Amino acid sequence: MKSIHKLIIAISISVGALVTSCQKLDIPPTNIFTPDIIFGSEAGVKSFLATIYRGLPIEDFKYRPDQGFKTGGNDWENFFNSASVTGEEVGPFGGMDIGGGFGYWPYGDIRNVNILIEELPKHADKLGQANVDALLGEAHFLRAYYYFGLAKRYGGVPIVTTVQDPGAPLSELQVHRDKEEATWDFIGAELDLGYQMMNETNELGRANKYAAAALKSRAMLYAGTIAKYGSANFVDGQARAEGFAGIPADKANGYFTKAYDAAKLLEGHYSLYEKNSDKVQNYVDLFLKSESPENIFVKQYSIISGTAHSWDATMSPRYMTANALTRSYPTLDLVQRWGNLPVTNLDGTPKRFNDRAELMQGLEPRLLATVYFPGATLRGLTFDMQRGIYPSFNGTAAAEVAKPANSRSYILSGDTKTLYQGRMIIGFTGPWTGGDELTRTGFYVRKYIDAAKPISTVDLNRSEQPWIDLRYAEILLNRAEAAMELGNAGDALTVINMIRNRAGATPYTSIDIDKIRNERGMELAFENQYYWDLKRWRIADVVLNNARFKGLMPYYVFNENKYIFLSEPELFQRNYNFDKKFYYEPIPGGELGKNPNLYPNNPNY
Amino acid sequence: MKKLISRILLGATILASSACTKIDNYDGPNASFEGNLISSEGGNLLTSQGSSQIRLEQISWSATPSPQEIPSKFDGTFKDSKLFKGTYKVIPKGGAFWPLYDTLTVDINKGTKHDFTVTPYILIKNFTAVLNGKTLTLKYTMEAPIGAGLPTIIETQPYVNNTKLVGAGASIRDFSDIYKKAINKEWADMTDADKSVTIDIPDMLPGRKFFVRVGVRLNDSFKSSNFSDIIEIDVPAN
Repeated sequence: MKSIHKLIIAISISVGALVTSCQKLDIPPTNIFTPDIIFGSEAGVKSFLATIYRGLPIEDFKYRPDQGFKTGGNDWENFFNSASVTGEEVGPFGGMDIGGGFGYWPYGDIRNVNILIEELPKHADKLGQANVDALLGEAHFLRAYYYFGLAKRYGGVPIVTTVQDPGAPLSELQVHRDKEEATWDFIGAELDLGYQMMNETNELGRANKYAAAALKSRAMLYAGTIAKYGSANFVDGQARAEGFAGIPADKANGYFTKAYDAAKLLEGHYSLYEKNSDKVQNYVDLFLKSESPENIFVKQYSIISGTAHSWDATMSPRYMTANALTRSYPTLDLVQRWGNLPVTNLDGTPKRFNDRAELMQGLEPRLLATVYFPGATLRGLTFDMQRGIYPSFNGTAAAEVAKPANSRSYILSGDTKTLYQGRMIIGFTGPWTGGDELTRTGFYVRKYIDAAKPISTVDLNRSEQPWIDLRYAEILLNRAEAAMELGNAGDALTVINMIRNRAGATPYTSIDIDKIRNERGMELAFENQYYWDLKRWRIADVVLNNARFKGLMPYYVFNENKYIFLSEPELFQRNYNFDKKFYYEPIPGGELGKNPNLYPNNPNY
Repeated sequence: MKKLISRILLGATILASSACTKIDNYDGPNASFEGNLISSEGGNLLTSQGSSQIRLEQISWSATPSPQEIPSKFDGTFKDSKLFKGTYKVIPKGGAFWPLYDTLTVDINKGTKHDFTVTPYILIKNFTAVLNGKTLTLKYTMEAPIGAGLPTIIETQPYVNNTKLVGAGASIRDFSDIYKKAINKEWADMTDADKSVTIDIPDMLPGRKFFVRVGVRLNDSFKSSNFSDIIEIDVPAN
């Protein structure tokens, strides 16, 4: 009896095992996303796009030019910006510390775009042909954006447009460098596709067809100026001789024409922000109001997703914030782009002011909206910049500044608590050299500062105002510069005066290339453009040749009860030198090790 | 307890005896390369901190080696005694001399010597430094061994330091950089007056010893400078 039981059990087990075991495990894996899942729905494509957008080389608040596009740890150090090595500001960098770049090499991100471009047409049945076309256009824009980030750093780079198979022979995977001209032409062609295929509008934070045209105007202007000025001022070397670093001069006008035509495409679709009749507040608002008709392409931030930036907390002193660390400050040299400030009388003596704020009278609204002057207010508090006290002041400003520090008769202080006959010697907002929180030039940044935030909320990683990566004012400046390079001064003048009118400046009656460049410097100050402008105009080695920058130091003259302002070397006392080889960054050493076809490296590396 | 200790000792002995059976079969960096940068106009090329280097590429190691550089000393000599033995492509670079394009291939071993001859862009001749009271007057003239095709002359300036190591990046700013004279001319457009320079440096500190030289900077790929020789100046105490 027992043995029969055993028999039955044995048989049923073996039968059961025989019947069920031979199922083949040929099913799609359930724990990874297959292309069907990702590209079969709009939500799937959107999540894939989010990864690509997140990696985009947008030089925003958090971009640190010697370390890269920061997220997470230490992404709050927003004062490590390119403005603070180019003389727009002075700041934490000891000198020209960003010339070698940070080894940017985004071929992983480009591979993602290539996957998108390869996969999308296969899923037209589920996504719809119109959707697929618009998304493909967006993908071409994104690919161009990545290549633009490469071309402006390295010149010619390998153009990879397919999804490489990791199992392919090494000779196929080690792609050769393309010429610089070919790289810029590729970027132009990609953006043409983007313009043709994308829709007029898109979600906030994503590109539409006009973003492609706008980026094209920027990229082609870069290429044109590199062709024109790079063939006059260059570093000799193999990479240049073979066309990897440098574009023939006769190609310049072709690129300028493309830049001009691309900029024209936006006409009538975007306009300068002019909603507030108070010109200063209008210019402040344009960086903070999301409904601005000037915004073409923006990057958004949020506290909830942990992406918030720290602009408000790192550009204003702790006096006006909850927990600030400032370190970079606008220079007097930048402010003088708008002309010399009326701080000196005709006989050379410093002009006397009853109140610091008087200095701001009559200045251009755009200047006052870009930089906080002594006497300005933020969150109910006054920028009380004061470098020290003169018991009395005689003679000219120039003679006083030329004296060695120990023979000047001023009284300085190491902190705000020290008083001179009952008066504070230095202001709550500096200038002071003892720590990292107070200005060393007499100015603070105002652009992008959200004055409406209560003091208690102004902290690190607590700012959410979007970064405007492409705005119409820049496109107008691109158009004016391209027009001027092509000899169309009339259009350049018209366009520059549109910008000057909005800024509250006096319109020009005539125009030249220096005025256009200066207008660009004023309009786009602190927007991470000027470093690239200096490079593509090939003047960085002249402008930053042992360069030292100035600040404007306010003093109180005790016996007269007046304020004076002296133009003095900024208090970091930094020195900036741009080496000519920095016009191109070195191809990263690790990549050269993996791919010998990337040789020759750029000249002098 | 005794057993435990002896077992541990045994284990340690086995471990120790099995270690260190192989030795590194590569030679250490025991080769050296030295020599002079000789000026075609006589003597060594006068250089300064970071102005000229010898670039080496070890082609016996890799077809695309990472370049390494030997900086030249102030007297135009160079030496690196910690190189790996092998075949190198070598070339002087950095200026201020007419660039060489043909790299030389040398087998570098112990005590390898080679002198390079270069043609400087500019020669500084008749350099005098005369102290008058506290004012130091520098006079010199510029000559170009080859005038045609010379890079634009940017500027000329004195370098004053309190050590013998004086030159670009090694000078006292208040006596040096602020007396820089801008030129920004092609050599062919420079008059004789442009080529003969006088610079006054006032308010030299009494009772100090200074080392003085002058330089002319050109707009080549390196923005390099040609230098004069160095003159020692004793400023008398008051």
